[in-house]
Amino acid sequence: MAQNLHEFLFRLKALFQKRRLDRDLADELAFHQAMIQNKLLRQGVPQADADAQTRRAFGNESRWHERLRELWQFHSLENFGRDVSFSLRVLRKSPGFTFVAMLTLALGVGANTTVFSMINGLLLRPLAVPESNRLAVLGIDMGRPQIQYSFAVPLFRGLEHRHEVFSQVFAFDRRKFQVRGTSETESVNGQLVSGDFFSALETPPLLGRTLTPVDDCKGGNPSGFGVVISESFWQRWFNRAPNVIGQKLQIDNTAFTVVGVMPKRFIGADPLQRPSIFAPLAVEPVLDGSRNLTDAGLHAWWLTVVGRLEPGVTLQQANAQVGAATSTVVHELVANPEQLARIQQRHLHFTAENGSAGFTSIRMSFRKPLTAVFAMCGGILLLACMNLASLLMARGAVREPELATRLALGATRRRLVQQLLVESLSIALMGTAAGLAVAPVVSKSLSVMLLGGQGDMHLDTSLDIRVFAFAALASIVAALLVGLVPALQATSRSLNEQIKSGQHSTQSRERRRVLPKIMMAGEVALALMLVVGAGLLASSLVRLYLSGAGFDPQGLDNISFSLDKQPLKGGAFLGFYRQLQDGLRRQPGVTSVSFARMVPFTDFFWDEDLSVGAGKTQNIYHNSVGPDYFKTMRIPLFAGRDFDWSDTPSTGPKIILNQAAVKLLFPDRSPLGQFVTKHEGKATFEYEVMGVVGDAKYENLRSLAPPTAYLPMSQDDGQMGPSYNAVVRTSGPAGPLADAARSLAMSMAPAIPAPLLTPMSVTVDESLSAERTMALLAVFFAACALMVTAVGLYGTLAYATTRRTNEIGIRMALGARRTQVVAMVFLQNASVALAGTTLGLTAALLASRLLASFLYGTSARDPWVFAGSILALALIASAASLLPALRSARINPMDAIRCE
Amino acid sequence: MLILKALLRGPLHGYSVAEWIQQTSQQMLKVEEGALYPALHRMELRGLLKSKWGTSDNNRRAKFYELTTEGQKKLNAEAQRWARLSSAVAFVMQAS
Repeated sequence: MAQNLHEFLFRLKALFQKRRLDRDLADELAFHQAMIQNKLLRQGVPQADADAQTRRAFGNESRWHERLRELWQFHSLENFGRDVSFSLRVLRKSPGFTFVAMLTLALGVGANTTVFSMINGLLLRPLAVPESNRLAVLGIDMGRPQIQYSFAVPLFRGLEHRHEVFSQVFAFDRRKFQVRGTSETESVNGQLVSGDFFSALETPPLLGRTLTPVDDCKGGNPSGFGVVISESFWQRWFNRAPNVIGQKLQIDNTAFTVVGVMPKRFIGADPLQRPSIFAPLAVEPVLDGSRNLTDAGLHAWWLTVVGRLEPGVTLQQANAQVGAATSTVVHELVANPEQLARIQQRHLHFTAENGSAGFTSIRMSFRKPLTAVFAMCGGILLLACMNLASLLMARGAVREPELATRLALGATRRRLVQQLLVESLSIALMGTAAGLAVAPVVSKSLSVMLLGGQGDMHLDTSLDIRVFAFAALASIVAALLVGLVPALQATSRSLNEQIKSGQHSTQSRERRRVLPKIMMAGEVALALMLVVGAGLLASSLVRLYLSGAGFDPQGLDNISFSLDKQPLKGGAFLGFYRQLQDGLRRQPGVTSVSFARMVPFTDFFWDEDLSVGAGKTQNIYHNSVGPDYFKTMRIPLFAGRDFDWSDTPSTGPKIILNQAAVKLLFPDRSPLGQFVTKHEGKATFEYEVMGVVGDAKYENLRSLAPPTAYLPMSQDDGQMGPSYNAVVRTSGPAGPLADAARSLAMSMAPAIPAPLLTPMSVTVDESLSAERTMALLAVFFAACALMVTAVGLYGTLAYATTRRTNEIGIRMALGARRTQVVAMVFLQNASVALAGTTLGLTAALLASRLLASFLYGTSARDPWVFAGSILALALIASAASLLPALRSARINPMDAIRCE
Repeated sequence: MLILKALLRGPLHGYSVAEWIQQTSQQMLKVEEGALYPALHRMELRGLLKSKWGTSDNNRRAKFYELTTEGQKKLNAEAQRWARLSSAVAFVMQAS
């Protein structure tokens, strides 16, 4: 052991002092020679004889050096170094091949790394808190396929103090706080957190203290409501003032005291959030007033609940324990025996699962698309590898003479394979480096695109050790895939045969050409699958856009005013909005202005139960809109009239239905002037139908337009708060409108945060962000796949044809016509492409079913898409095969034969 | 073993190691340079010897080898092994 270490250290030293070692060796030997010479001279041998004798005794000096040096080196390492430099020289000699190879692999590895870094950021990276592996996310299994991860306040409070398996259980939810500054109010991202949030996440504050269960009580801690702020908010708002602790913050019209500052690395338990303010959960009723979520009890499910496992408790134990505790918690909560029976019937129980990466609700909606994209990336990488392997194989055939010479000179096969592998490894490493260089930029823009609508989310796709490990693994696997088969093959033949055969086609070589053909066919098949997938996704996206929203999003802007914290009621409330409408109408380019409680495609909806008389109740989506809403949105009005500011509560409740609602409620008669009944518990309300409008989509572009009822905002009782969004149709750019809305809001209601203007077309795009991203990536990958396949088909055929120059020359000399030669070469690839297409078609038919859940209005076996994909592939393959075929026809038979 | 033994008397350079062995064995054993130097270097690598540069009797720069404690231990072990082996061989030869 000690000897081994000694040897290692000495060799290491020798590695760095190579030149000194060489000089020492020379000196030592020279000394020895001199001594022998001295001895001989002393014995009376003449000088010339002594010289000759010494030299004879010693032999070749450099051979000596080599023998001694070998002792001192790391054998394999130095060989490896030599391989690397040799490989680089070989690669530099054919820059075209190297460039294409590198680019292909950079694409493959880069794409995989990009998507992996997103998956890493979303699903894998552990939270930056101590022992994050002891965190567990709690869920509720309701017997549905999907576990529910949102809790109601009473349920959470029932779990909070159960410490059998958890040292702490905490809940949180994101929310936007309106923080009043000196000049204006600002909307700030934050979280409501329960008392044990900070103690469970075990991150010490930068300043002051964290929130504790004492803060999380009704009325706050004895000295009022406390909040903890983030380091970045401390910097921005307080300019890092050290006396920030104890300062007051006016949040949602409530006074809070800053009790602590959290360091930058602390982001809570949702990896996508960057909360600036943490406020205790118990103040929610104070902030939200009469319609708060806490008092809504079991009607509001909004909290994410996470527990920290006691040391030594496994996740399985915790899961079993919370499952068993379910009925106790439910019994404590639900007094109504009827409801209790209903719950028990559903076998509802709590679950605990690994929460080391925290929890984000978006995870569920993006897991599937990301996995699909990841699979596509894997396909691209495989394609790139196969392509390179077949190119290398073709090159290997060309390099046969070189390899044969090296074998003849005494290189072992292992040594040659090693060198060839080093060659492919260096290509792979260069490709990976290039891929890694662009991956962060691409994944950043991709995640922005994917998260689209959720502007306050932040997906950290930075490269960490996991991403690097993945990229390294991908590149090594790629190098092996790329290099091993061609290397083994190129060196597989006996030396004799190699040297003898030269350029003559032998029987065995013909046999060996089958493997590249299989590879190319596989490549074509894979490319076809990717193209079909891209075609399906793209045509689905196009159909989505063509399906229309029911309104015209072009030239339409939505301005949201956060008025929900303003005490506007009754007349003042209507007066405010009438004034706002007039103000906005006066802006240049504005053609019409209205208001809506719910803006389409923003994930919010509002539904009620309506019936006609005592008829069957129907679930109808609702919206409350201002006058001119339908004109502004360009939703056609088919019958009756639009709302007017004069439709006040005193003129009797009015309602406008869309066609879908009419079909449901009044299947056989005209609804105008009829009454519909709204059921709210035991109470009922009557509304007079005064108009019928076209169907417009509500929640998103994917689902059909739901039956919808519109209520006039002029009859709004203000129960849901005074917050409305303005919808504005303009004929020019939206830029000046944002400034106008801002100054208008400042002058009319200085206490609200700056209004937010979003073009409706952007809202539509963002509601489709996942589909758009997927389709875009799929098309990009498919284009790359086509390109890579084209390069592969061209490359292998070009090499193969070069090697057959001779044969073609003879054929032509014997009277073959040029067209025949072209056909012969072309058909060589055509058969490969045909086989690949058949294989790919079968595979695509089987695999496309997996995409079905992503498709809108498109069958997973859409014949047009399949036909188009095959056509595209056929065109590309033909073009790639025709070039070498045409070139082969230009061979001059005389030259070809003479070059033998 | 012979080289180690030669160095037991103190640091020597390669040439004198060869000379010493040749003389001590009454010209019976001749160490070839081709075997000597690789052996010296190998033992140095394994830490049985250490080397330093010095000047020889005739004022030339020469590399002197010296036994390490590790080398001494090795020599003892080897000497014992050899003693056992040679006596065993002697026994066998005397038998008949």
